[in-house]
Amino acid sequence: SIATSASSETNAEQLPIEQHARSVLRETFLRCLLSMTNKKVQFLMHERVKVEATFGASDIDVLNFQVSDLHTPIGVQKEALIRCQDVISFTCDS
Amino acid sequence: MQCDWPLLGPLQWMRYVNKQVKVKAGKDEERRGWLLTVDPVSASLVLVDFKEDGGASVQVVMGHAVEEVEVLQEADEETTQRLQSSFLPAKTRRLDP
Repeated sequence: SIATSASSETNAEQLPIEQHARSVLRETFLRCLLSMTNKKVQFLMHERVKVEATFGASDIDVLNFQVSDLHTPIGVQKEALIRCQDVISFTCDS
Repeated sequence: MQCDWPLLGPLQWMRYVNKQVKVKAGKDEERRGWLLTVDPVSASLVLVDFKEDGGASVQVVMGHAVEEVEVLQEADEETTQRLQSSFLPAKTRRLDP
């Protein structure tokens, strides 16, 4: 994942402002993920592969998504982990 | 705008929040939406699209796949309000003082 501070040139005065921005962004992101729990999502993966699943959770580093009822071309996987590196985007209607 | 989106940092990402953006990610895939937030850990963007029936569709574009982000327009006050209150649970205030 990404370095905790954007660059070495971040000076001491700017750090609290940057950290504040970081926390606001992260909180909104987590609330958004939370709102997707148990909802149907469509994942768009590389090579235009589209799969559907019920969203569960993400780990803190956003490296994996836990999903249920993953509809793959060879059948439905009851529970699965999707590597985030394999995902381009995912959509959820609420 | 740039291809090193994940390296921009929170202060730069903040400039895109509450704006309508066009994001290029993956093979000639292009998407538009109101930028709700950027995850500072993965640089993933959260785009919201409001539908006519009052619902919203949320699209998360993974930071590693982002190639280009372009601002189309700023949100008016009503859209900003709607955007920022979309995921707040009714009785919880944001932690921000």
